[in-house]
Amino acid sequence: MTLWDIKVKQIAQIHSLSSMLSSAVSQRLDEMGFNPGQNVICLRRSPLKGPVVVQIGDSVYSLEQNVANKIQLA
Amino acid sequence: MKKIILVGKPNCGKSLLFNQLTGLRQKVANFPGVTVELKSGQFKQFEVVDFPGTYSLQTLSRDEEIAISKLHESLLDDDTALMVCVLDATRLERSLVFGLQVQQLAKKHNKAVVFVLNMIDEVQRYGLKIDTDGLQQALGSPVFALSAKALVGLAEFQQALPELADNPQQHIPDISEETTQLNVLQQAKTLGQTYGINVDVMLKKQNRIDNFLLNNVFGGLAFLFIMFFLFQSVFTWANPLMDGVEALVGELAAVVTSFTGEGIVTDFLNDAIFGGVGAFITFVPQIMVLTLIIGLLEDSGYLARAALICHKPLSYFGLSGRSFIPYLSGHACAIPAIMAARTIESPRKRLITMMTIPLMSCSARLPVYALLIAVLIPEDHTVLGIFNLQGVTFFGLYLFGILMALVVSIVMKHALPQQDDKSDMPFILELPTYRLPHWKPLSQRVLNSGKQFIKRAAPVIFVVSVVIWFLGYFPQGGGLQNSWLGTIGHVIEPVFAPLGLDWRYGVAILMSFAAREVFVGALGTMLGIDGADENIGGLAAQIQADGLALGAGIGLLLFYVVALQCVATVAVLRAETGKSRIAWGLFALYGVLAYFIAMTTYQIIG
Repeated sequence: MTLWDIKVKQIAQIHSLSSMLSSAVSQRLDEMGFNPGQNVICLRRSPLKGPVVVQIGDSVYSLEQNVANKIQLA
Repeated sequence: MKKIILVGKPNCGKSLLFNQLTGLRQKVANFPGVTVELKSGQFKQFEVVDFPGTYSLQTLSRDEEIAISKLHESLLDDDTALMVCVLDATRLERSLVFGLQVQQLAKKHNKAVVFVLNMIDEVQRYGLKIDTDGLQQALGSPVFALSAKALVGLAEFQQALPELADNPQQHIPDISEETTQLNVLQQAKTLGQTYGINVDVMLKKQNRIDNFLLNNVFGGLAFLFIMFFLFQSVFTWANPLMDGVEALVGELAAVVTSFTGEGIVTDFLNDAIFGGVGAFITFVPQIMVLTLIIGLLEDSGYLARAALICHKPLSYFGLSGRSFIPYLSGHACAIPAIMAARTIESPRKRLITMMTIPLMSCSARLPVYALLIAVLIPEDHTVLGIFNLQGVTFFGLYLFGILMALVVSIVMKHALPQQDDKSDMPFILELPTYRLPHWKPLSQRVLNSGKQFIKRAAPVIFVVSVVIWFLGYFPQGGGLQNSWLGTIGHVIEPVFAPLGLDWRYGVAILMSFAAREVFVGALGTMLGIDGADENIGGLAAQIQADGLALGAGIGLLLFYVVALQCVATVAVLRAETGKSRIAWGLFALYGVLAYFIAMTTYQIIG
């Protein structure tokens, strides 16, 4: 399961970042708090497969499909 | 002068702190092709340089790359005495990821660093506390808890700052230099957990507002309402200000020309300077009003939400959610719209957005549309019995511009080469806390937008106005018809013949390259109607009597939708993309495209 499959209000744990992501993007996600073992909560989904909104640690982020589906959940 | 460098994450309140330290006098340095702005101002005997908000020293986009390389540069500068790293007290862990990187960098360059724990008032509002002393101990650098907005602790910081900057060697971070990325994340986490606050209350409040503003139904309505407000403000409410500036330019022209008397000098001042350059100055208020509204949206936190709402639909066209506001603004004036495209996260999408903005029907096209519609479309015709045909045509022209922009976007999405990773940035957007905007950074921004507009567009407008005036004025005495411009019009008449237009239209089109609205006055002069700008009805009747084929007229309308007849826009495009090639290439491309559309229309309708 990836972060793109998460449902509203669902809580999940980050497993890993896909190697499909460029190293720069991976590193940025890492710095934003998308670290293995970190809890993530889905706050909302947008219509028409728009970006997903998640809370991770102390911040709220919105990610589009081609990033969210490269973040593996445990 | 010794320098103090200000760094921090986006949304940490750094701009306000900068304003509080330096007052309202500041200089802005821009770099061609990127959105990086370095602001500098004076605090006591020091120069304070405000760097753009960055998430990390590891860069993701070209903009960040340039910002960080400038930071490295200034750390090599002997004048740099101190780095002030601003942390968001409500998001300690995230701020510290960048803060610790900065600390290491400072250590490497043997520079002093102090931390500012900003927005401490928000922490206090929730009845929470941060152990500043403990944090200072753990970090090994001085920490000042303050609120640049609520003015808590600011005076103390201002008092301590000169002393810190005068004795930098005592504040070089006391840490080991070799720390890995993993360590930074780990350390930020530990420190965040030990000293940070529980943000759940704050995020709950933010989430409650989002439940409304991002709701599928109410959120959509709120979005439409806010965008309508933005559109109204630049279109209608900026008008009195624009009229004011116009009147002022008129007054000034009257005063100045009263000294020069009759003759060539007065004609030059009136037509080329006050008429040409003066007309362009009237756009300044509109640009400033637009900047104000966008600034309000950004500083309040709504801009990120608007981008989220628009992202998916616009991504089909190779655009970003952040392209929406520039597109909307483009209906007022392309120049602030192109500058507003700076907020777009992906350089590639930003480029596509900037390149297609000139297709939006800006307010300078309105007089041209109004004139030609009055000529071509009977006033009393309706569509479906309720819609006035003239109104429908107006709407159709706007729609045609938007459709053209989307088509060109799709073409560019496929045609522009995908370069390396750095050329594109995925849509990862932080939704910041909703906050009340502060007037100080906002007013700075509004003033800067006016200044930058004048700086970038005025020289080219000046040159073109003077050249067009010169060609239209000489040889003296024969009027516009017999001037060099008239001669050129006759020579290039064959070019306009396939569009069903004669040389007089050709001359009016040539003259409108300085600014589109010039077309109306110029055509008026060619057809012997003085003051056509105020007498569109009279000119329309004259054109009807003179005879303009329906196909040629509609073709001309479509020509004005597509052609990039605005040297100021070309100048701003050149500055913002950093490439003349792109700006003049677009000028030629849209010119050729407009020509073929107009020709096809005339050939079909006749």
